Amino acid sequence: MILNPGILALFITSLLISLMTIYAACHGIQILRRWDIASGSELQLILERRTYLISTIVTYFLAFQLVSLFLFIQTADSICHLFVGAMCAVGTLTVNSFGYPTLLLKVLTFIIAGLWLILNYADNRGYDYPLIRAKYLLLLILAPFVLAETVVQCFYFFGLTPDIITSCCGTLYSQSARGIASEILALPVIPAKILFSVSMLATCAAGMRLFLNGKGVYRLAALSGITFVVSIISMISFISLYIYEMPSHHCPFCIVQKEYGYVGYPLYLLLLSGTVLGLGVGLLQPFRNKKSLEHIIPAIQQKCAGAAVVAFVLFTSIVSWQILVSSLKML
Amino acid sequence: MISVRDVSKIFNAGHPNEFTALHRVSLNLPLHETTVLKGPSGSGKTTLLGLIGCMARPTTGRIFVNELEITSLPERFLTEIRRSTFGFIFQQVNLIKGISALENVMIPAYPTGEKHSLLRARAMEKLGMFNLDMRAAARIECLSGGEAQRVAIARALINNPAIIIADEPTAHLDSTLSREFMGIIKELKSEGVTIILASHDPIVYDSDVADRVVEMRDGKVIKGGKRP
Amino acid sequence: MANVIEHHRHIIDFTLSSLLRRKGKNGALLLVYAVIVFILASVLFFSHALRREANLALSESPEIIVQRTMAGRYQTVPIFWSDRIRTINGVISVRPRLWGYQYDSVFQANYTLTVPAEHPPEPGSIDIGSGISRMRGAYPGDIISFAGHDGLPRSFTIRNVIDHESELLTSDLILLSDKDYRDFSGIPADQATDLTLRVRNPREYSTIAEKITRMFPEARPILRTEILRTYDALFGWRSGLIIVIFSAAIFAFAVFAWDKATGLSAEERREIGILKAVGWETSDILLMKFWEGIVLSLTAFLVGTILAYAHVFYTSVALFAPVLKGWSTLYPVFRLTPFIDLGQVATLFFLTVVPYTVTTIIPSWRAATIDPDAVMR
Ligand SMILES: Nc1ncnc2c1ncn2[C@@H]1O[C@H](COP(=O)(O)OP(=O)(O)OP(=O)(O)O)[C@@H](O)[C@H]1O
Ligand SMILES: [Mg+2]
Repeated sequence: MILNPGILALFITSLLISLMTIYAACHGIQILRRWDIASGSELQLILERRTYLISTIVTYFLAFQLVSLFLFIQTADSICHLFVGAMCAVGTLTVNSFGYPTLLLKVLTFIIAGLWLILNYADNRGYDYPLIRAKYLLLLILAPFVLAETVVQCFYFFGLTPDIITSCCGTLYSQSARGIASEILALPVIPAKILFSVSMLATCAAGMRLFLNGKGVYRLAALSGITFVVSIISMISFISLYIYEMPSHHCPFCIVQKEYGYVGYPLYLLLLSGTVLGLGVGLLQPFRNKKSLEHIIPAIQQKCAGAAVVAFVLFTSIVSWQILVSSLKML
Repeated sequence: MISVRDVSKIFNAGHPNEFTALHRVSLNLPLHETTVLKGPSGSGKTTLLGLIGCMARPTTGRIFVNELEITSLPERFLTEIRRSTFGFIFQQVNLIKGISALENVMIPAYPTGEKHSLLRARAMEKLGMFNLDMRAAARIECLSGGEAQRVAIARALINNPAIIIADEPTAHLDSTLSREFMGIIKELKSEGVTIILASHDPIVYDSDVADRVVEMRDGKVIKGGKRP
Repeated sequence: MANVIEHHRHIIDFTLSSLLRRKGKNGALLLVYAVIVFILASVLFFSHALRREANLALSESPEIIVQRTMAGRYQTVPIFWSDRIRTINGVISVRPRLWGYQYDSVFQANYTLTVPAEHPPEPGSIDIGSGISRMRGAYPGDIISFAGHDGLPRSFTIRNVIDHESELLTSDLILLSDKDYRDFSGIPADQATDLTLRVRNPREYSTIAEKITRMFPEARPILRTEILRTYDALFGWRSGLIIVIFSAAIFAFAVFAWDKATGLSAEERREIGILKAVGWETSDILLMKFWEGIVLSLTAFLVGTILAYAHVFYTSVALFAPVLKGWSTLYPVFRLTPFIDLGQVATLFFLTVVPYTVTTIIPSWRAATIDPDAVMR
């Protein structure tokens, strides 16, 4: 393990977050088992009050997870030169096989927590806690992922051993260069561009349709999910190239660096929020028939769809703007 | 109409110190009338007021306010109703020390997100009703007992409630101030506000303001209410 | 939407006024909080700045350095090696270097002596770093003397005082001519301290290093990237270690914050009871507590960070220099170049604000769920 301050910070935070999640999940289980809205008993009152605690915890979790996502990338980038052949975060993440899974779990738990908060938002507007079961089941789904993230991250950090000069011999005869993972992922530019444009257009159209006349809920949800994946692929295959103005630097991480005006932060933030909002619309759909949510869910879906479209449009605008001002010209 | 149907309240249910504060109480209180709850200490007046005012939920039974059943609503809905429908005057003035009278009056309206200037104007108007506009900027600690009581009444009125709930409002006032208080109640009543008071002060329950007097003892209504 | 903003505004107003009403308690919390941030920020900024200085220096250093070891000890390198190494494919140039350290027992300072490749001073004159200049009160034109390897003093005329972006690396530097250095250190004319290589293609570094060791088994080639890595690991490790030690302090702080947050005074409980009774909802109180945390954290964070910035970059870590750099007493005074990045701020946030927030969640929730009818009893 490397005693880097960033690593320590991530380590401590993930432990705290896990503790919080375990605590919330335990209360969640109790709520699932003992919940009885018709009862006037004190236990029911206590359980209802706990719902406030749990939603507070998940809200903080979402915020911390977002910062930790970026700090993780930042830290990976800042320690890359400790590893022979690593040029940026990509290289550091491939030092052992736990790097990318950690990142993936961070993104996944962020999305689930975001969805949970959308569900919570709807539930709080119904007068009879209509989504209480769904909400706490989702929490129980979230918890293992959070724990997995902590464990995988732990393995990742403990597996990091820097290649440093030892006193016995001068040169480490370096292994072959790392950091090829993203090159493999990179799709050829033209198909990627077409895919990106089509999926963005389709998602925004679906979002607008839902916003205007309330139709096509599952379509928007599915398209948001697809667009998320397509956008990440596009980021690797061509968007990053324009930002770096280099025809072969396929890296999704360096764009959060100062050299590129921190453009990665708004981009990923918009992409993540658009995706969470789009998916959330679909998640709410099965509960549309609950009596207390009849009018509430469509309104929330409309709001979410509108916000998702705004996020995706902004994302696409920033990307297009970066492509336009880039000195790199490709077809 | 506020109707209380078969309501019981049990504290610490299932524990050795279990205590039944209200025992199957049923009551119908018409709107625009003034009701006084009377009874010895410990008879459950405060508990009943709390249930009607959406401060707590009954253990069993149902309460309807204007046809809306409030018994099983989640806390956030109860609060919403409490804020918009009820104004409270407590036995102690329960004002927040260290801030001005005006701010104290405005506090119940903060969660509504009303515009600050409008809110302020309305709070000044309420203070003006009790000739307190000169004291608006004064801190609570600097007010006299009677002034503090009137600030508390102004606070109860800030959200223009349809129902005022007052629990032993005269307990800490001398008889002159108590009469003055009943005068204010009378004025509010003439504006069509429903008033529910709990008191064992004759100035309150013998006053001509009271349209009906409900007598309670040991958690039961013994006179004046609709018997079960 | 306007409503939501106004709602937050009201609650923030109220939170601020209630924070100000409890100056004693919140002041104590704020002070401890800010001190914690200050200490951690100082450690972070300092180690980061040191690392950056080192990187800056090394970025100008040669890609490959060849040293000689004998029985595991460093030796001077015979100059004829450079001609042989130049024959290796891919090597553009080889240059023998002369440099070394010198301890000044009078001023108790360590100097670094170097013969620069370009524009070396005339024999008899030298350039000195700003640290030495400050310490000895010597300026261009003055004559200064140092004791050489044989203990005899040699005097030089000062040509220049070196001004450089990175003061850490140049403040103890002395530049002198080839002839003076050999006289000063006693290195024979056919030897050099080490050799530096320039190589055409970075991919060939390791092959060239391998060829050199085959050519001269006692040669020890060092790649620049390796030096960078070693320095980095060392600096990161040092600050990490200090943070581990200070995590005890963070933990104590969390306990303190927990205590402050749970130990609601009767007055505070009464206030929250009143708020709830008159129409505030549990989530409004939670919001109030959230803003309270934001205000406290932000203030402590800003105060702590700004003070740490001044501490590290304007006073050169005056408060705990002895702990952070063991060699500081041997080293002339230097100033670090101000530098902060987003990653450091995020790290600091995670080491202070997150533990604080986590410890206050449950107490805040407890406070927020006080029964609204409590004030009626
Ligand atoms: N939270 C509680 N836990 C346990 N017992 C309680 C609680 N609140 C009230 N009680 C009990 O319920 C009974 C009724 O209380 P309540 O305050 O309603 O009486 P009251 O009629 O208002 O009396 P007073 O005239 O003295 O104000 C009392 O015996 C009291 O001790
Ligand atoms: Mg009472």
